[in-house]
Amino acid sequence: MTDKPYIRLSKRMAVTVLLASLVPLYVFGMAIYWYLTNAQEEQQKESLRNLAVNQAKAIGLYLAERTSLVEVLVESASLEQLSREGELEKVLNLLNQRAKSFLDLGIIGANGYHVAYVGPYHLERLNYSESTWFLKTKVHGVYVSDVFLGYRGVPHFVVAVRKGHNPDSWILRATIDSDVFTQLVRSAQLSARGDAYIINQFGLYQTPPRFAGQILEPAGIQPQDLPVGRVTVRDRVTPDGRRVFSAFYWLEKEGWLLVVEEERASHGVAAGVVVAILALGSAIISGAVLFLLRLMIRQFEAQERRRAALDAQLAHSARLVSLGRMAAGVAHEINNPLAAIGELAGLVEDLMDEELVKASPNGELFRDNIIKIQQHVDRARGVTHRLLGFARRMEPHWDMVDINQVLKETYSFLEKEAMFRGVQVTLDLEAGLSLMKSDQAQLQQVFLNLLDNALDAVKSGGHVTIRSRRNGDGARVTFADDGPGVPPDCRDRIFDPFFTTKAPGEGSGLGLSISYSIMQKLGGDLRLLPDGGPGAVFEVNVSPAGE
Amino acid sequence: MDEIRVLVVDDETDFLRSVVKRLNLRKIQADGVESGEAAMEYLAGRGVDVVVLDIKMPGRDGLWALDEIRKKYPGVEVIVLTGHTAVEVDADRAWSRRGAFDCLIKPVRIEALIEKIRAAYEKQRGVKA
Repeated sequence: MTDKPYIRLSKRMAVTVLLASLVPLYVFGMAIYWYLTNAQEEQQKESLRNLAVNQAKAIGLYLAERTSLVEVLVESASLEQLSREGELEKVLNLLNQRAKSFLDLGIIGANGYHVAYVGPYHLERLNYSESTWFLKTKVHGVYVSDVFLGYRGVPHFVVAVRKGHNPDSWILRATIDSDVFTQLVRSAQLSARGDAYIINQFGLYQTPPRFAGQILEPAGIQPQDLPVGRVTVRDRVTPDGRRVFSAFYWLEKEGWLLVVEEERASHGVAAGVVVAILALGSAIISGAVLFLLRLMIRQFEAQERRRAALDAQLAHSARLVSLGRMAAGVAHEINNPLAAIGELAGLVEDLMDEELVKASPNGELFRDNIIKIQQHVDRARGVTHRLLGFARRMEPHWDMVDINQVLKETYSFLEKEAMFRGVQVTLDLEAGLSLMKSDQAQLQQVFLNLLDNALDAVKSGGHVTIRSRRNGDGARVTFADDGPGVPPDCRDRIFDPFFTTKAPGEGSGLGLSISYSIMQKLGGDLRLLPDGGPGAVFEVNVSPAGE
Repeated sequence: MDEIRVLVVDDETDFLRSVVKRLNLRKIQADGVESGEAAMEYLAGRGVDVVVLDIKMPGRDGLWALDEIRKKYPGVEVIVLTGHTAVEVDADRAWSRRGAFDCLIKPVRIEALIEKIRAAYEKQRGVKA
């Protein structure tokens, strides 16, 4: 039974359904993933943007406030006042009162030397006339410096205000507390992986970054490209290899660039969720599809099997019908010659008197043969008359039958033939088998058929045994031969009509089929014993007919 | 007892001749013809008690003869012979509808035929009487 077409079909269906259901699922999944991550990124960028702007304002304000303080101080006090002993210190404390923002305070004269100083460093003897901040302050009057090392060797930046003009000008310089400032700048930081710092127009850190890099080192950013007046958000890789979103905003007055950055959110979670959903979805869909397909295919196969069985049955029936019709036609054709033979031989027998028989050495043989010819015609008639079905006329004719007697008679029909063929027939009949109600003629036909088959099966020198035994109310008769037996692949066809293993012309294949039908009709059975060995063993069970 | 007069109608020559001879050997006055027409001719000239008629279906010859005999010689009983097996015969039963006494299937044992002939003769005599 081939189920190859169904395998192909099921494969094709599986592929189609899976594609049709999984492809949209994946497309949808990826779309969601893309949307989520995109949305996430846009959100991040937007936050950074806002943060940068606000923070820049805060920082700008802070610096403006510090500068104002120094300016006010310069305007409100004279040089003499400020240079008095302890005065600067008082002022510094005052300035730092609310919030500590200044590290030191110093008055530097036009010549570049400190006039007064309060702070942690020893700077009194140092000259600043060459320093950038000094020169710039002299020019601009108010100046906020970039971060520089200066004499103290520590990164810092200053707010300086000039009072007066050359040669009487003096500068009040305040150093901003870097820690405080850095804190302020860093307050823009969004998360643990974020950072906020300032770089100057040359790209050098003005406040220390949290991760790689140090103050006054190059930050790896080209500030020149970045437009002034609005936030630029860029997706970049930091010198130490982190992928970040960076928001850049110029603090125009100071010429500083505020950088607020955030590491790009890992898409790990989103990816993980999407992958998990897709995997689960795929698994469920695939499972369902394959399960349903298998179910369906099994249905198909079962139906196919049923249909095939039905077809086989129908074909078998059709064969039987057509064979039956053919056989009927054949039977008719046979019956006429048979009738002629019977009558011709019968006439010879009628005319054969004792004188004729004695007149020739073969006389007995002639008479015997004539009689036998008619017996065979009878036998053939029996077969053709019962060929297909049974008519009203052919219903069993009940006698009280002596099985053993019937067997002996049957044997007598074929005795000569057996001798002629060199086959030894043994009758092993249980004595005293009671009479039983059955149809003698039809039983005889069955026995004749089986004995005939047995004789055909064995070659010269073979043996056939006919055995009868009581079997309850009935009898069991077996015909055993030591011929080749029935091949296993023929066993379940042996009672089929027209099944024969003989060469064409040697057997009609009807004998066993008819015998089988007869036994069924009489209420017994006929079977081939599976391991009677060495040859074939046929067993006839004769049951007495019921009332 | 009178000998029963029988006419056998069959186109199988061997069969016909043998049956007629065998009937004669058994004290039945039998004769044979080989066709329906011949049978009608014979019956026109001679008295017959029983006709044994081969139907040879599906040919029409036998049935036609049956009809003719029953029509023209209603006193003559007809026994129909056929080579068909019992099933077809029973299913058709044309012979019965057409008034034949009985039907026998070839090949037929001579004793059975004679039995049927005697029975037909009894019937015929019964009618006559």
